[in-house]
Amino acid sequence: MAAEGRGRRQSPVLRIRSELPMRWRAGLAVGGLAFVFLLWVWESSRSSGAVIVPSPADTWKAVTAAWSSGQLGKDFGASMGRIGLGYTISMAIGLVVGLLMGSFTSIESAVEAPVAFLRYIPATALTPLLLLWLGIGESPKVTLIVLGTVFFNTLMVADVVRAVPQELIKVSYTLGAGRLAVLRKVILPHSLPGVIDVARINLAAGWLMLVVAELLAAQSGLAYRIVQAQRFHQVDIMFAMLIVFGVIGVASDLVLRWLRNAAAPWARP
Amino acid sequence: MTLSPPESPPELAEPITPEPPATPAGTRKLDMVRVIKTFPARRKAKPVVAVGPVDIHVDQGELVCIVGTSGCGKSTLLNIAGGLETATMGDVSVDGEPVIGPGPDRGMVFQGYSLYPWKTVAENISFGLECQGVDRARRAERVKELLAIMDLVAFADRLPKELSGGMRQRVAIARALAPEPDILLLDEPFGSLDAQTKLAMQEFLLLVWQRTGATILMVTHDVEEALFLSQRVYVMHGRPGRVVEVVDVPFGRSRSTQVKRSPKFLDLRDEIQELFRQPLD
Repeated sequence: MAAEGRGRRQSPVLRIRSELPMRWRAGLAVGGLAFVFLLWVWESSRSSGAVIVPSPADTWKAVTAAWSSGQLGKDFGASMGRIGLGYTISMAIGLVVGLLMGSFTSIESAVEAPVAFLRYIPATALTPLLLLWLGIGESPKVTLIVLGTVFFNTLMVADVVRAVPQELIKVSYTLGAGRLAVLRKVILPHSLPGVIDVARINLAAGWLMLVVAELLAAQSGLAYRIVQAQRFHQVDIMFAMLIVFGVIGVASDLVLRWLRNAAAPWARP
Repeated sequence: MTLSPPESPPELAEPITPEPPATPAGTRKLDMVRVIKTFPARRKAKPVVAVGPVDIHVDQGELVCIVGTSGCGKSTLLNIAGGLETATMGDVSVDGEPVIGPGPDRGMVFQGYSLYPWKTVAENISFGLECQGVDRARRAERVKELLAIMDLVAFADRLPKELSGGMRQRVAIARALAPEPDILLLDEPFGSLDAQTKLAMQEFLLLVWQRTGATILMVTHDVEEALFLSQRVYVMHGRPGRVVEVVDVPFGRSRSTQVKRSPKFLDLRDEIQELFRQPLD
C-alpha cells in the first residue's frame, strides 16, 4: 500500500479522548438508548412461560394506572421520605467527620481504622439486627440507609478535603486566617463541588439500602410495591416500579450535577 | 505599617502612593541569624542538615533576592521567615520580634499563584483584610487602590481561571500587599510564567516596589532576575545550602532592562554562575 503521507490518520469517532461534535454525541446517546429499548421490545415479544417480560406499552399502562389511582404517589412519597431523611443524616455526618479527618492527621488516625473496619461489614447484613432492635417502623429503614452510606460518604469527603492544595492553606495562614477561618473559608468552599459529587455517587448505595429495607418490612414504598406485585403475579407493575426507580435515579443525578455547577461555577469543567 | 482603625472615616484612607514608612528607611526589618534547618533522621541515618547556618537580613524598603539552584534550601528559608516552617536553630525576627508562626505582617506569594478559585479577583485581594476584621467600606477602598496599582481594575469581578498567568500572579501579589505587610516574601513568583510575561512582571514588580515602598525578600533560581530586581543578592549553594556570596547590586532603585546589557551586570552574572559550578559538597 502506498503511503499517502507521513503519520497515521485517525478516525474522529474512535480517537482516544477526542472532541466530538455535539450532534454526534447526541446521536450516539439516542442510539444507545434505542438499542436497550429494542432489546426490551424483542424480549417481551418472545416471552413465554414463567419468564414474562411485559411490553413497554403494558409497562407504561401500569405506570399511568398506578399514578392515577394515587398509589404511585403514595409509594413515591414514602420512599422519598425515607431516603431524604436517611441520606441527609448520612451526608451531614459524612461532611463533618470527613472534613475533620481530611484536615487533621490526629483525627484521621483515630477515625480511619474503625471506619475502615465498619465499612466492610455489609450494611444489608445488619437488617435483621436493626429490625430486632428498632422494630418495623420507619427508624430501622432510615438507620439502614444511614449505615449503608455514611462510611463511604465520610471517607470520600475526607479525600475531597485532602485534595485542597497545601499551598492554598499556607497562603491563608500568611493572610491572617486562623484554623477555624481556614476550615470555614478555604477548605469548605474548595471542597463544596467535590462533596456534592460524593453525594451524587453514593446516592445509588442509598437507594440500594432503601430497597432492601422495603423488601423486608414495609407497608408502603416503591420496593414494597414490587413485593406486593410479585404475590399477585403483576409483572407489569414490577416493571413499572423498576422504571420509576431508574427515572428517579437519573433525575437525582441530573439535579445534583446541576447543583454542583450552580453552587461552584468556578469548578465547572 | 498597620491599618488605621476601622472607625476612621474613608476620606482619611491611605493615598495610593508611598505611605510614610512607620520605620525610617535603613532599619532592620527581617533578620535571620545563624539559621539551620535539619530534617529528622530516617531509619538509621543521621538527621540531614538541609540549610545553614545562614545569615540573611532585609532592611526597610529593600528588595533582596536569594538565588540558588533547586534543592539548596532557599524556599525553606523563605518558609521559615514566613513562619510556615520552624528553624531547627538560629534566630528569626521581624522588627526585632521573634517569628513564631505565619501572619499577615509577612505576606507570601508562591510560584503556583494559590488564588482562591471560587473568589473573584477583588474577593481574593480582600481575603486578608476580611480575616483581620477590617470593615466592608475600608476593604473595598483598599481593594480598589490595589486593583489600580496592579492594573487589574477591569478584572475585579473575574474568576482566577479566566486570567492569564501573569495576571494571576499580580492578584496574588495584591492579595499579599492588602494587609500592608512589614515584608513581602516571594517564592519563585515568576517561575511558571513564559519568558515574555516574566520580563514584564519583573519590570512591574520594580514599579510596585518603588510606588509602595514595600520591603521585599524574593527567592529565585534565575540569576539575571535576581540581579535585575534586587539591591542585594544572597547566593546560596552546596549541601547543606549556605550563602556562599553576598552581592551588592550597584544599580539604583529605578532601572530599565537596559541594565541587563551593561558590562557590570554581565560580570556579576558570570561571577554568580561561576559559583554554581563549584561542587556541591
